[in-house]
Amino acid sequence: MKVTLFVTCLVDLFHTNVGKATVELLERLGCEIEFPEAQTCCGQPAYNSGYVKEAKEAMKHMIRTFEHAEYIVTPSGSCATMFKEYPHIFKGDAEWEARAKKVADKTYELTQFIVDVLKVEDVGAKLEGRATYHTSCHMTRLLGVKDAPMKLLKNVKGLEFVPLPNAQNCCGFGGTFSVKMGPISEQIVDEKIHHIEEIDVDYLIGADCGCLMNIGGRMERKGKPIKVMHIAEVLNSR
Amino acid sequence: MAMKISTEEFKERVEKGIHNSFMRGAVAGAQDRLRTRRLEAAAELGNWEEWRALGEQIRQHTLQHLDYYLMQLSENVAKRGGHVFFAQTAEEANEYIRDVIVKKNAKKIVKSKSMVTEEIHMNATLEAVGCEVIETDLGEYILQVDDHDPPSHIIAPALHKNKEQIRDVFREKLGYTKTEKPEELALHAREMLRQEYLTADVGITGCNFAIAESGSITLVTNEGNADLVTALPKTQITVMGMERIVPTFEEMEVLVSLLTRSAVGQKLTSYITVLTGPKDEGDVDGPEEFHLVIVDNGRSAILGTEFQSILQCIRCAACVSVCPVYRHIGGHSYGSIYSGPIGAVLSPLLGGYDDYKELPYASTLCAACTEACPVKIPLHELLLKHRQTIVEREGKAPISEKLAMKAFGLGAASASLYKLGSKLASSAMNPFTVNERISKGPGPLKAWTEIREFPAPGKERFRDWFKNREKGGDE
Amino acid sequence: MTVGNIYRREAFLQNIAQRLGRDVYTTGVVRPMWKYAPQHTVFQGYSQDELLEELKKQCLRIHTTLVETTCHDLAATLKRIVVEHGGGPVVTWDDPRFDEYGLMPLLQEEWPNENVSVHIWDAKLGRKNIEFAEKANVGITFSDITLAESGTVVLFSGNGKGRTVSFLPTTYIAIIPKSTIVPRMTQAASYIHQQIEQGKQVSSCINFITGPSNSADIEMNLVVGVHGPVKATYVVITDR
Repeated sequence: MKVTLFVTCLVDLFHTNVGKATVELLERLGCEIEFPEAQTCCGQPAYNSGYVKEAKEAMKHMIRTFEHAEYIVTPSGSCATMFKEYPHIFKGDAEWEARAKKVADKTYELTQFIVDVLKVEDVGAKLEGRATYHTSCHMTRLLGVKDAPMKLLKNVKGLEFVPLPNAQNCCGFGGTFSVKMGPISEQIVDEKIHHIEEIDVDYLIGADCGCLMNIGGRMERKGKPIKVMHIAEVLNSR
Repeated sequence: MAMKISTEEFKERVEKGIHNSFMRGAVAGAQDRLRTRRLEAAAELGNWEEWRALGEQIRQHTLQHLDYYLMQLSENVAKRGGHVFFAQTAEEANEYIRDVIVKKNAKKIVKSKSMVTEEIHMNATLEAVGCEVIETDLGEYILQVDDHDPPSHIIAPALHKNKEQIRDVFREKLGYTKTEKPEELALHAREMLRQEYLTADVGITGCNFAIAESGSITLVTNEGNADLVTALPKTQITVMGMERIVPTFEEMEVLVSLLTRSAVGQKLTSYITVLTGPKDEGDVDGPEEFHLVIVDNGRSAILGTEFQSILQCIRCAACVSVCPVYRHIGGHSYGSIYSGPIGAVLSPLLGGYDDYKELPYASTLCAACTEACPVKIPLHELLLKHRQTIVEREGKAPISEKLAMKAFGLGAASASLYKLGSKLASSAMNPFTVNERISKGPGPLKAWTEIREFPAPGKERFRDWFKNREKGGDE
Repeated sequence: MTVGNIYRREAFLQNIAQRLGRDVYTTGVVRPMWKYAPQHTVFQGYSQDELLEELKKQCLRIHTTLVETTCHDLAATLKRIVVEHGGGPVVTWDDPRFDEYGLMPLLQEEWPNENVSVHIWDAKLGRKNIEFAEKANVGITFSDITLAESGTVVLFSGNGKGRTVSFLPTTYIAIIPKSTIVPRMTQAASYIHQQIEQGKQVSSCINFITGPSNSADIEMNLVVGVHGPVKATYVVITDR
């Protein structure tokens, strides 16, 4: 199966390992990976800050880059959600709305793709330790992907899964919110970390690099010894 | 109390909120409890999404035909002998209410909880003509006794106060001598207020839902105070936001079911009271005179715009009770009687961007509000629309941000620019990088690194690795 | 009845219509067929006995005592409940059902003979009735419609059926003939809507009462009994 990888700008620049893990994992599951060099960013930073005109430029570029793909897979619930929003954003512009819809319809978040399209729930991964999972808001509420990560994590050998108290609460990232409303973001992420510490885990797992950068960066600043891992890295552990 | 409740800057208000540890504990506890109760109540119904879709459709249909239903409502109120006043502005509403009160030579007014009367600053108008205005909802009463402390939550106005604070206020202002036990405090309020109901000249209420087909108004409470406010004084004045209306009893019933479940997880509150006109001939209790004041005060300007769906709101505060930002800063930080996500959307619309331009940004866009809303208002999308309006129409965004976003637009729309920029990132960050971490970032990174570490851009981007690998290079 | 006045309506509605981009609608709007009707599926097809079971369950959650009795035992049951709640004074509606259910001897003889003072609402006395209600320890009314799902009694007040009987006294007792129980508020709302459609006048005050009054305004602690009754008891007559 041919998969076109939308790696996201955060992974491209800062979390290269997540991209590598995604590629290796999908290849092991029998996919052939294509990576369009022209890809940039989904446009969310501008769109969520109210710069719709600027965001649309980025979006059109991404539509052009991805519209010929068979399956578009991305290791981010939030960026997948943004792709899914494209038709809504181009509403009223018949040509771009139609092209956006084509892209949206074949976009999948990584775990969603593995479970729903590849129909695999056990990827043969192995990782020793206690772990919990952060349900990122866009992935859970807007994309509606709730069960796929759980199904996959359940089958990781050696991994003891502990539910996160108040899991439904946001981590306080919110894109530019994290810098625009720093003091509030700090309080929200500190509560999240408090709950993570409560259950005494070795790993915090997530499916969105934005949230993980926020929680991880704060835990590191506070000297917490909990390891932050993207779910692609966990599923690629052997 | 007008809609605006503070002259402080947003930042200062947030600072205060964050440092109010009792308030934060109370809010977090209340949120967790209300959330659980709401979810249980929804689950018990089993088909909550159908209920929400029905609620949404009813509200949208009503707004789309608002003039028709207001016409029908006013005709039916008048037929039953009630008077109806349509007020475009807060001033018009206040003038009318004041005139009724002056004509009745009223001195004492009892009130049940009403957000719209807070919004139009009605109490001050009536106090200015020498009336005593007494709030009878327990939470509102506590705030009023405490020198008009503003409400901090739509359905639990005194949420930010603890029982010890309330005891002290009662001791100082009401000669209270008992303990901080909620039962004793409530009993004291009951005793104080009983006499007020019995001797009041006018009762003033808000309105949860007006019913067009019969000219009725519906009041939803747990305390029963609205019943006493409307049964005992000889004159009743009801003030409603113009959108708080449904076609018939059948839609009222659906929305009440959604309201009580979403607000407090109850199937129904203890008192749902439907009143039609003044008392009938032969009735003993109930008002001799009934006035309905229908308030616009900026609402019509929202109709027909991309923000119209905010008028679907039934004031259940489910969005407030799930908001992670509200959780940590509390209601007063919003600077408006309308707090939380509904407040962040509504306050700039009713009060303008000058006072409320920060509110649309006081959201992580986590969409918990949208998910909780029983009438499916896309709250987080409306916050985005506000941001867009602020950037595009109001021109209120900071210049540095505009430039950065302009650069983003160019960069992200061009493969070559993006590649170049991202390649430069690593070396540009070099001076700030220690152990692959940035602890004191420059420019926009500064705000991030004040709180957290930032990962340094890798020496090799993912795209470099992938290209290299395809060429058969090592992994 | 004198018709009330309507002020400043025209410009107000004109403005709304303009914002909605059209002329004012004064006629011709009909409610659409709503896409969903989930409210009708609650307890659909339940028998009166099943509805009573649901009502009982709900009463446990609303701090309300439910007592089952028969027509024959009704007077004795009421007597016992009033004693348990500290006795009179008692205030009741002036409602023919008190006679139908054989309660007049209790109200007019038994209780007064036992020094439990009884005031039956009397429209001729005007606001004096309110003083009785305010001083009463117990208020008693019949339920006109009873909602199983929420544990609610629906009272159509007016004339002899004084509003304050149900909320000024410390204790409130609702007499519920089993036949008045319906699944939920939906059936009550439909009934009222049909009455209006038939041109009947809706009563000036309809109360949907669910247990005693309460508040959670102080630290989210539930306090039962704020402005209205502190205690509520439902007496269900199982054979009517």
